[in-house]
Amino acid sequence: MNTALSIAVSAVFLVASLICATWARRAWCVTVVGGLFAQLLGAVLVLTSAGTWVFAGTGSFCGQRLVFEVDALSAFFLVLVAVVGGVGAVYGSGYWSESAHPRTARLGRLWWSVLLLSLDLVLLARDGVHFLLGWEVFTLAAFFLVTLDRQRSEVRRAGWLYLAASHVATLCLFAFFVLLSERTGSWKLGPMLGHDELAPLFWLALIGFGLKAGVFPLHIWLPSAHANAPSHVSAVLSGVTIKLGIYGLVRFTGWLPVPASAGWVVVALGVISAVLGVAFALGQHDLKRLLAYHSVENIGIILIGVGFGLVALGHGGAAWGGVALAGGLLHVWNHGLFKALLFLGAGSVLHATGTREMSRLGGLWRAMPWTASLFALGAAAISGLPPLNGFVSEWLVFLGLFDAAGSRGPMAWGAMPAAILLGVTGALALACFVKVCGVVFLGAPRSPAAEHAHECGPAMRGAMLVLASACAGIGLGPALVWPAVARAADAWRPGELVVARPESLTALGAAHVVLALLAGAAVWALARKASRAGMVRAVTWDCGYVAPTARMQYSAGSFAGILTEWFGWILRPAVHREVDAGVLPRAGRHASHTPETVLDQVVEPAGRLVMRLSGAVRRLQHGRVQSYILYLVAGIVALVAVVAAGTPP
Amino acid sequence: MTPYLEVPLRLVVLLGLAPLLPGIINKVKAWVGGRRGPPVLQLYYDLARLWRKGVVMSTLASPGFIAGPAVAWVAVVAAIVLLPLGPAEAPFAFRGDVLLMIYLLALARFGTTWAAMETGSAFEGMGVAREVSYAVIAEAAIIAAVLSLSVQTGSVSLSAMLAPAPGAGAVLLAAGLFTVLLAENCRVPFDDPNTHLELTMIHEVMALDHSGPPLAVILHGAAVKLLLFSLLLVEAVLPLGGVSAPVALAIIAAGVFVVTIGVGLVESLLARFAFRSVPLLLTTAFLMCLFALLMAWKGGAA
Repeated sequence: MNTALSIAVSAVFLVASLICATWARRAWCVTVVGGLFAQLLGAVLVLTSAGTWVFAGTGSFCGQRLVFEVDALSAFFLVLVAVVGGVGAVYGSGYWSESAHPRTARLGRLWWSVLLLSLDLVLLARDGVHFLLGWEVFTLAAFFLVTLDRQRSEVRRAGWLYLAASHVATLCLFAFFVLLSERTGSWKLGPMLGHDELAPLFWLALIGFGLKAGVFPLHIWLPSAHANAPSHVSAVLSGVTIKLGIYGLVRFTGWLPVPASAGWVVVALGVISAVLGVAFALGQHDLKRLLAYHSVENIGIILIGVGFGLVALGHGGAAWGGVALAGGLLHVWNHGLFKALLFLGAGSVLHATGTREMSRLGGLWRAMPWTASLFALGAAAISGLPPLNGFVSEWLVFLGLFDAAGSRGPMAWGAMPAAILLGVTGALALACFVKVCGVVFLGAPRSPAAEHAHECGPAMRGAMLVLASACAGIGLGPALVWPAVARAADAWRPGELVVARPESLTALGAAHVVLALLAGAAVWALARKASRAGMVRAVTWDCGYVAPTARMQYSAGSFAGILTEWFGWILRPAVHREVDAGVLPRAGRHASHTPETVLDQVVEPAGRLVMRLSGAVRRLQHGRVQSYILYLVAGIVALVAVVAAGTPP
Repeated sequence: MTPYLEVPLRLVVLLGLAPLLPGIINKVKAWVGGRRGPPVLQLYYDLARLWRKGVVMSTLASPGFIAGPAVAWVAVVAAIVLLPLGPAEAPFAFRGDVLLMIYLLALARFGTTWAAMETGSAFEGMGVAREVSYAVIAEAAIIAAVLSLSVQTGSVSLSAMLAPAPGAGAVLLAAGLFTVLLAENCRVPFDDPNTHLELTMIHEVMALDHSGPPLAVILHGAAVKLLLFSLLLVEAVLPLGGVSAPVALAIIAAGVFVVTIGVGLVESLLARFAFRSVPLLLTTAFLMCLFALLMAWKGGAA
């Protein structure tokens, strides 16, 4: 089976899924999964064969000739679309089922198919018009998916914010493509590195694609959209669609020349996104909102890798740049896998308890052992712990940074702080996920809803299991995925960057396998020893207190208190406190929440200012004819005065 | 020596000697305080007794309560195997193993904190919150320290990084790493291992509900972690590149002994800091490592 055939099959199946989305649930599921499987096969064929597949049609679409191409970079992202899209479809059939959501389940399937097709169009397009078309359609499809549950007002609000922010991004991309086509004389896309005058266009692309990717401080739409969307939609939004922003950035920095400072700006944005993304995540009490902020963090890690790839271009394509870029690209896959897993896990929790509020959860492992253990695996992966996939990509980025620092050039001044802050990010992510796992899955249930939770169905469990095994697989066999990553990194700027395989990658994989085996053996041995030694159950040590309640447990807010205090300068948590200081105090209350600082403190005041100015201007137009005549007279007088003053004597 | 023989030998020696360190520290503290103190081998006796005991498990705890300590122990042991011993390279050395070591310590933290969160106790939640929060600055300090070694030697493998003579920043590096050692192993002035008040503890409070063999595993893991940090500190600071293996081993052993006595002296002469000032002290450690990094950078350029 060759690439052309699998892509054709995938296209036919996905279009067929569009047709049967509204009336045949089973057929839709089969066509989507079949189509995506064919797509996965085609992409893997491209990634293993080092060739590219080009389709140059005779017909035209929207006035432009149909040209599609799959090179290693496109194929790399096609794999992600196929895996997360397929898994999300299966999960969604259980999660957003006909019986639970009779009004919107069909629409959800329809928009899912539209989303997949338009994502593929963006990845395959080699023409500016088609690219923009795909981009706009997938933005709209994602909007309709986010607002599936549009009876709730916060969902509608999140949807509008997403739509507005996405259109700012689209506007930048419109400007980008129009300027590009005007200067090159055609809408055709491809390598055009000779045209140095195109370099300033990079800044437009950075804003457009950065908004989509959720780079700090352009991430304002991301937390609310990802938190309020149905969970399988959150998974695909966070796992795939924001990666299209990365795709755009990588694609166009590869095709077009970039300004000399581009790499440094990308690295700086990456470091800021990584550290502040996780800091904001620590302040959240809403499980899905917290996960959404971790997307900002991981986009930051990806950008650090990509940025050092760009920096390396200015230093003769040094090998450290290649390793860092490969690490960033691998993190695209890894983040897509573990973040989708975590969102699906959060979806199961929401499904079982009806709440995303962490302070109302707790002790869920008892009712949901599958979800709890798979979520734990995802948490370990996203915290960059060996032997899972998150560590492999962070290890590659670190290796690039250490080599850059060791090469003692000017780039070391960027590499050293980036490496330290990447380490800090890892430690913060670990803190955050210990908090999430501890508060949501361990301890005692904090509410009746958490007490009466139930495990999710087989479709949802199976979907999570697939993602979890992919996370473990990449972690245990990094050498197996390296060729794909290296081809994608090579396709970025062929011949300009050395992408050499770190010779110790195999050793790392072996270490991971040994570690996993030893850990398994140790757990087994200790559990056996403990059960043989005689196990007694007793209440948790409560310091002699006679009436402990579940509400005395550490909550999400108190857990993160130390860290949110350190980041108080940017998080600006809002605290409401009513404590009676009398001798016999009445019941007090304490509530805190971390707002979206950039949205509340920058975007909204700016928006209010614009509204006020517009309001002031609008006062001029009020429908009174007398005033309009006055404007006319004043205008004519002013014109006469200008002409009189300007006339030479 | 073949690696098949060397790895078990190293493990037996390192894991066997690790519980000696807390014993030495306690002896030093007793000596300074004018007491006789517990025997040096006290931890061995404790471990043996705990291993024979039964397990009391919280009614809330899941199997992760047992799995967490096991994973943490394996992670710490794997991390210590990655360390070279002077001229004897680590049996499993590769480029980038230093990063694996740092992240294995993070995995150990994940295991212990997970197990602590199992109990749903506010005390344990408090300890875990402190542990993971202070680890953030400690991580920054360790990365800066490791970077300074990497910049100085131009290598990303522990065996090469720890071998040569230290640069001008050795004193700074030693001070920084020693402070990190105290913080990561929950010693005074960051934490008081002898306190009997749950509210003021970090590490001990996380193990409050553990008992029997799992507690033994936690205690042994903590001792191995202390040995790991002492080894790292000694090898990072002392020049072990040119000496023969037996001499180097003797120097390392002496160095670890000195570090242990230093920990004991610090515990005898200092009080535990208020939790508010802990981040300040850790930041100081980070800054010392950062200056060591800058000196390593400067030393190479000159």
